[in-house]
Amino acid sequence: MADLRVTLLGTELKNPVIPASGTFGFGREFAELYDISMLGAVATKGLTLEPRAGNPTPRIAESRGVILNAVGLQNPGVRHFIEEDLAWLREKTKVIANVAGKDVEEYGKICALLDGKVDFIELNISCPNVKCGGMAFGIRPESIENVTWVAKNALKTTPLIVKLSPNVESIAENARAAERGGADALSLVNTFTGMAIDIERRRPILANNTGGVSGAGIKPIAVRMVLEAAHAVKIPVIGMGGITCAEDAIEFMMAGACAVEVGTQNFTDALACPKIIADLGAWCDAHGVERIRDLIGAARMNG
Amino acid sequence: MIETRATVLENVRIAENIYSLTFATEQPVPVRPGQFCMLGVTGFPLRRPLAICMAEGERITVCYQVKGRGTEMLARGYQRGHTIPVLLPLGNGFFVRQEEKKVAVVGGGVGVFPLVSVIRAYAQEKEIFSYVGFRTRAAVCMQYELQRSKELTVTTDDGSFGKRGTAVQALMENIGRVKPDVILSCGPLPMLRALKNAVGGKIPAFVSLEERMGCGVGACLVCVCSLSGGAHARVCKDGPVFDLTEVDLNG
Repeated sequence: MADLRVTLLGTELKNPVIPASGTFGFGREFAELYDISMLGAVATKGLTLEPRAGNPTPRIAESRGVILNAVGLQNPGVRHFIEEDLAWLREKTKVIANVAGKDVEEYGKICALLDGKVDFIELNISCPNVKCGGMAFGIRPESIENVTWVAKNALKTTPLIVKLSPNVESIAENARAAERGGADALSLVNTFTGMAIDIERRRPILANNTGGVSGAGIKPIAVRMVLEAAHAVKIPVIGMGGITCAEDAIEFMMAGACAVEVGTQNFTDALACPKIIADLGAWCDAHGVERIRDLIGAARMNG
Repeated sequence: MIETRATVLENVRIAENIYSLTFATEQPVPVRPGQFCMLGVTGFPLRRPLAICMAEGERITVCYQVKGRGTEMLARGYQRGHTIPVLLPLGNGFFVRQEEKKVAVVGGGVGVFPLVSVIRAYAQEKEIFSYVGFRTRAAVCMQYELQRSKELTVTTDDGSFGKRGTAVQALMENIGRVKPDVILSCGPLPMLRALKNAVGGKIPAFVSLEERMGCGVGACLVCVCSLSGGAHARVCKDGPVFDLTEVDLNG
């Protein structure tokens, strides 16, 4: 059996498969279906300083090969997570706390509260579904560098992953901005801003009008962006965007990702992550790959 | 809750745009009345949340309205012998207390499907009074199952079948005589609002809500509804059945 372990910033993950933020809550619901300790790590639902109610419904829509969501960061607040869910989740696997502030200062405050308590922090500067905060910080290189710097300075021990938005001019430039700001790693891509219109009602399906597009249809764009980001920086990159199976995960690793996040596929198949982990091992065995980490960045460009 | 590859036993049209799908799961599944399942349709990233009408061991029946491409694919593409991925049973379901003897069931349109499971579960031990409304004659379905009730009133909006009017009107015409201990309901929002206006707070009442869903297990926070205090509840996990007085039907 192939060795599926990967190392992320000095921490060993059992395998590179991580359920993506917002699709997995804090893990409790999926734990009723399978043993979530088999996961490489869990990226939590986005956490804000105070509880948030989120957007009106409908919050989800479907289009060919993709879905759109506009949940709007509904969450019970970071303190509630620390008190109620963190110890339970950390006993199972590595914890990536996804955090979102309404302003730069709040990013620092949330990071300070979580410092030393989680394995990683994933800075959500790319949520397209909230009016203040989220993607507002993730578009321009200067603001990415700034918010990264503030978050990094609030952290004494916990490594910082910055999650990049794909709704940008140059992913390479933004990746470098996060690196300059002090990011220890990057994750990408978050969702693409989109819209679906109900032609009978002549109105957008989502109450928020626009939402984040995810799912199999975005994968080629995400793979390209992960590769460009990985080439642009020296820090590790976590890849995601439309992963539905082990082969998709391997594609991201070959593009330069040291681990992968699986999002929408958790909705299509609640057992997606366990299946992908099993199939990664089978693929490596069938292809004579002894260590999955040998696949990281293995894709060579033509010409 | 299990994820299973079910085998389609039957998938037939039972009314205009309405189909009944019966499948066999890989193992027996204990299902409470009012619970639902998430059905995976090949090529569609989101599963379809469908109320369970009947459940006997491995044999489960769901009914659905063809509304978009996914349900159209479900109606056309799945025949006896095909397999279909299903996550079930989901949600809290309806619950009738020991001391509640007279149960009024109020259903509108496709809202009758979860109520069929209630009638099947409680027809022996309770007195069930059913009031179900459809748009028109062509939409009327589930008569055989609904007739397990002690009393059944069917209404149509246009009077083409049964009584002209709505299910809530039919309930209110009989409520003084029947004096139900509890009301269980499912249907379109305007019907649920009418029910709340008519009986909210006077008689215990529980309603099953419909909402677009993501995961179906309570993790993604897509299918929320508002409670009267302003808090959000997850329709898939905290519901789909809520106390009528506690749920905000205007949100």
